[in-house]
Amino acid sequence: MNRLYDSMEPRVMDDELLKLAVAEQGPREEAGQLAKQEGILFKDVLSLQLDFQNILRIDNLWQFENLRKLQLDNNVIERIEGLENLIHLVWLDLSFNNIETIEGLDTLVNLEDLSLFNNRISKIDSLDALVKLQVLSLGNNEIFNMMNIIYLRRFKDLRTLSLSGNPISEAEDYKMFVCAYLPDLVYLDFRRIDDLTREVAEIKYQYTIDELKHRETLTQAQQEEARAQREELEVHKAGFIEHFNSSFLFDSMYAEDTEGNKLACLPGVSELLEAYPFNYKDKFVIICLNIFEYGLKQQEKRKVEIDTFNECIQEAIRENQEQGKQKIIEFEEKHLQNLSAIREESEMPVIEMKIVECGEDITQLFNVLMTLELQLVEQLEETINIFERNIIDLVGLFIENVQSLMAQCRDLENHHHEKLLEISINTLEKIVKGELDEDLPDDVRTLFVDKDTIVNAVGASHDIHLLKIDNREDELITRVNSWCTHLVDKIHTDEIMRNRKRVKEINQYTDHMQNELDNLEFGDILD
Amino acid sequence: MEVLIEKVEEEEEAEQEEGAERPVKPEKMTKLLQKETTTLTQETLRNMEQKMLEIKVPVPKEPLTKDTIDTSKLPLSYKINTPKEEQLLQVADNFSRQYSHLCPDRVPLLLYPLNECHVPKFVSTTIRPTLMPYSDLYNWDSCAQFVSDFLTMVPLPDPLKLPRYLYSSTTVLRYQKGNCFDFSTLLCSMLIGSGYDAYCVNGYASQDLCLMDLTREVCPLTMKAKKVVRKVEKAPPKKYAIKPPRDLTSRFEQEQELKRQREMKAAEEKRLREEEERLLEAEKAAPDSLHGLRVHSWVLVLSGKREVPESFFIDPFTAHSYSTQDDHFLGIESLWNHKNYWVNMQDCWNGCKDLVFDLGDPVRWEYLLLGTDKPHLMAGDEDNGVSEDDDDVENLGKEDEEKSFDMPHSWVEPIEISPEAFETRCPSGKKVIQYKRAKLEKWAPYLNSNGLMCRLTTYEDLECTRIVEIKEWYENREDMLELKHMNKITGLNIDYFKPGHPQALRVHTYKSMLPENDRAMEFYESARVDSLIRREETPDTMTEYFQERPDFLSYRQVNYGPRIKKPAPSSTESNPRPVVKITERFRRNPAKPADEDVAERVFLIMDERIQLRYHCREDYITASKREFLRRTEVDSKGNKIIMTPDMCISFEVEPMEHTKKLLYQYETMMQLKSEEKLSRHQAWESELEVLEILKLREEEEETHVLTISIYDTKRNEKSREYREALERVMHEEHLRQMETQLDYLAPFLAQLPPGEKMTRWQAVRLKDECLSDFKQRLIDKANLIQARFEKESQELQKKQQWYQENQVTLTPEDKDLYLSYCSQAMFRIRILEQRLSRHKELAPLKYLALEEKLYKEPRLAEFLKSFA
Repeated sequence: MNRLYDSMEPRVMDDELLKLAVAEQGPREEAGQLAKQEGILFKDVLSLQLDFQNILRIDNLWQFENLRKLQLDNNVIERIEGLENLIHLVWLDLSFNNIETIEGLDTLVNLEDLSLFNNRISKIDSLDALVKLQVLSLGNNEIFNMMNIIYLRRFKDLRTLSLSGNPISEAEDYKMFVCAYLPDLVYLDFRRIDDLTREVAEIKYQYTIDELKHRETLTQAQQEEARAQREELEVHKAGFIEHFNSSFLFDSMYAEDTEGNKLACLPGVSELLEAYPFNYKDKFVIICLNIFEYGLKQQEKRKVEIDTFNECIQEAIRENQEQGKQKIIEFEEKHLQNLSAIREESEMPVIEMKIVECGEDITQLFNVLMTLELQLVEQLEETINIFERNIIDLVGLFIENVQSLMAQCRDLENHHHEKLLEISINTLEKIVKGELDEDLPDDVRTLFVDKDTIVNAVGASHDIHLLKIDNREDELITRVNSWCTHLVDKIHTDEIMRNRKRVKEINQYTDHMQNELDNLEFGDILD
Repeated sequence: MEVLIEKVEEEEEAEQEEGAERPVKPEKMTKLLQKETTTLTQETLRNMEQKMLEIKVPVPKEPLTKDTIDTSKLPLSYKINTPKEEQLLQVADNFSRQYSHLCPDRVPLLLYPLNECHVPKFVSTTIRPTLMPYSDLYNWDSCAQFVSDFLTMVPLPDPLKLPRYLYSSTTVLRYQKGNCFDFSTLLCSMLIGSGYDAYCVNGYASQDLCLMDLTREVCPLTMKAKKVVRKVEKAPPKKYAIKPPRDLTSRFEQEQELKRQREMKAAEEKRLREEEERLLEAEKAAPDSLHGLRVHSWVLVLSGKREVPESFFIDPFTAHSYSTQDDHFLGIESLWNHKNYWVNMQDCWNGCKDLVFDLGDPVRWEYLLLGTDKPHLMAGDEDNGVSEDDDDVENLGKEDEEKSFDMPHSWVEPIEISPEAFETRCPSGKKVIQYKRAKLEKWAPYLNSNGLMCRLTTYEDLECTRIVEIKEWYENREDMLELKHMNKITGLNIDYFKPGHPQALRVHTYKSMLPENDRAMEFYESARVDSLIRREETPDTMTEYFQERPDFLSYRQVNYGPRIKKPAPSSTESNPRPVVKITERFRRNPAKPADEDVAERVFLIMDERIQLRYHCREDYITASKREFLRRTEVDSKGNKIIMTPDMCISFEVEPMEHTKKLLYQYETMMQLKSEEKLSRHQAWESELEVLEILKLREEEEETHVLTISIYDTKRNEKSREYREALERVMHEEHLRQMETQLDYLAPFLAQLPPGEKMTRWQAVRLKDECLSDFKQRLIDKANLIQARFEKESQELQKKQQWYQENQVTLTPEDKDLYLSYCSQAMFRIRILEQRLSRHKELAPLKYLALEEKLYKEPRLAEFLKSFA
């Protein structure tokens, strides 16, 4: 490699080089002639070989969208780059280059065979995206840390690995280590791992591996749990009632409320807040739970509604399609007969008459298909309107009920406010009279200067609470409404798209038929 | 004989008279109901009876005459009555007299007919409940079928009178003949044995039943299984179901049209019905003058046991089951099982339709023995108890006697059916049943060399002259042929095969066995590599259907053109029909996009064209199409044109860029060309296969080899040989073991005084004796061999001498003879020599071995140990 590097100038991967390579590796003989006539588009190339080209930088490969196999071995490449677009790549050979770190492979999710033999890599990483990896060749590199092998445990399909010629392969227990930590491996350093070695290795590293496995399962379980929670929240969000199943709203009401928190330490207030069974917090949370349950039910209802609607629509469309297909089949049969009759006919006037007949047939088919389509459009429009009305009604009902429940919350808050005010004024009076027994913290005591201050403080707390409730309600309503409009819009646009597509298809088909007929006419006249 | 019968008759008459005279207990009277009115008036009935008595032909001919029955070998229980049986007969006699007194206008009951040894036996004891060892005979239908197949029906000597004789089932089985009573007794024994609640019934039935005349019955095999009309469940219209398009046709016109059609249909139906009625009329038999008087016996199975949901009748002749309301059964006199006897007290004016089979009801069914296990179903327990108590009080003597009296054990030997008889079934293995417009023939397995088991011939007319179709069932055939269906009208033959035919054939439908004719073959597709399920042929097409193939091919049709006549007659054999068109259809391959997944490809071989039709996309109604012109053309300069745009006409639902390229089209076409070759080859192979199958079928039809199960020890030659060989080996092994167990010390031990313990001196002497004896034997053997050797060599020398002397005069034949003798003698001498030397070699070893063995001999060891 060094010799090559010395003897030749490094080259750039330019258009010319690529064209040449493509042409050389393209089809042969008759097909080759055709290819030459037409030229080959880069995006049609499936496999490309660029070895011994003294390439320094990977470049200009973005056009090869469908490339499956790429050989870039025996060059002087220093960095892995420019491969982002080759997402279909299955086979990548970068051996005998000057690569130092593994990088730039994050988009190659289909890669199965990766060769980085004879490079200067010292660490195995950045391969996370390669979930389908089966063969990995990393021999003759500079990997010295045994822990790199543990990284390879994540590739469930990895069967072949080569690491010989690395510093780690010098280690005494290298083979055992690999066998133990990668139990699914079949070939290591171009040799099959025999069962005996595997067994011995397993016994040798049993404890460490068990520990590792345990840790892996733990993390996996955690991830699972987090995922499940996230999913649940998603479901609740889809029902617009997230966090209603706990005291989240209540807690948030007090989170920014300094006065409220201060007042909470007044005698009697904490009982008001927390004491069982008829305290403020519990009642509030119960209402929230009511909202939550109601929301879930409503969500279910909406889902059923949408599902039935979709099902019915699909059914109708399918039925219509079947009818259309039937019509086309009937037409094609007749048309084929007509065409063969025309071909056999020799009398010019008869031919022309028949051609006219065929043309009429095509027009008739067009009419029939269009009628079917229009009929479907009408039917669907009606159904969609009914659905729209129903879903809006449902949403309206939901909003109404939620609002009434929220009003209950507000009532509770008002009630609580009155009580708090009463307690506060009582306390103030006591303080004024100097009858207060308990010690109050200084910052609370500052509130009890005069009546205005304390009333203001309590009022501020109340305002914050009300604001929170209002905000939550507004949020819910806006989201529900926007979801609803979005849904309805989508249904309408989908239907329009479908209609356009079908009309286009019908037109295309009839046009093609007409064209064919015209060509025939032409041919006949030429004959 | 005749004297005896007459005597019996006299006795019977006397008994009847006696019974009539004897006063009947009043409580018995109350139980007996008033006589029922039959369809005939009492007067006519009595007259008839009188007439019958008058007619009385001199001894009706018994089908199984006593002369033919060998009674000498029958066991004693057949020839005499035990005291208990005697007692029972007395009870029965008493019962019969009371009965005839109370119901003087009813015919006498069948209570104790004579058996084959002319001994009167009570009917219940003639039933011998037996569970058959064959699992096939566990259910009533197979039991009844067996009885009806196994026995030949003999009509009653007098259709209006009860038989005088009732033979044991063992005798009936031996002679395979019997009347309806024999049939039902045997069937009843088997049914009770396998756990059914079955009864023999004595009653009256229609002529068809009594004479086993099935010519008015439709053959059960010809009846087609009723198609279960599955109701298509109409899903309730969903909330958002679209409304159907507005119907713009005139409703009035529709109605008018419907009306017209209905009228036409009604007229048609009427015509059909009339036709049917006419036919029925023709089929109906002439009215039977003896209707309602013909005596018959059949079997009643009551519900309850063996999960029988409803009581039913079995006609033992035909093995058909009938409901208890069936028209064929016109009345019941009495019924019995192995435990008791019941007399019907219900009115039979309406046949058996109104009968209630509650045997516990003493008003409806008069029982013979009290205290049976039949529960009183209708009457409450309390009432019963009371009534019985009353009985006890008022009539102690009789009731006590009866109550303590159980039905004695059957006098009949256990019913045995040998496996051979069970397999042969019908008498001499063949049975023919005539049905309405059908004839059914049955054979025993292996009786016919081609495995024919059953043949059903269906006729067009009632007289059975014009054959409509023949169905033949086969079994145990090596080619797995199961059923042959020949339709004589259409000439269509259908062969059905069980799984296992060498070519996986399942059904073969054909008109003639000649190739290239109309035929259809169905296959067990899972047994075939190519998953072929059906192949249809007409003179110019061959269509194949496939299932579940990995390449998704589901259909291939090959169209052939007319044969081109070749001038050379020698090549006629290999002159295949030219292939005009091959059509192949594929199922949807979900791995490919619809636009690249071919649904149908047509190779127009004559036109050199290939048409492709692709699958339809999910929400589209048109599918892509492509047509290739395969013709290779040459341009003006003489160069070959590889590919031009007009060689491929394509319609694409969604035009794509890469398919427009000539290169793509060229490659597709090349691929199609190679596939066309492949398809043609496969079509050719299919043709060959058809020929092969036809040939194979013909061979199979000619040879019709039957398979014999390896478990069939009687028929399977191979297994028998094997078994015999095994037995022989076992026997030899046994002999050898006996030999090894031969005690070599026995002769010497025998010399010792018996019962005494051996002394050491004796033991040593015994050992020495044994050894010396053995030594002597070895020497003797050596001497014997030596003597033979010497004799042989002497003879040879003599012969040689003789030869030397007469050498000149000998003929060449004699010379040859001499030479062969010499070589043989030399051979013998050599062998003897070898034997001798071997003996010399082995003798000391054998001697030592024996000595060793003697030292280890447990009987001597304790004495010799110290000595050694």
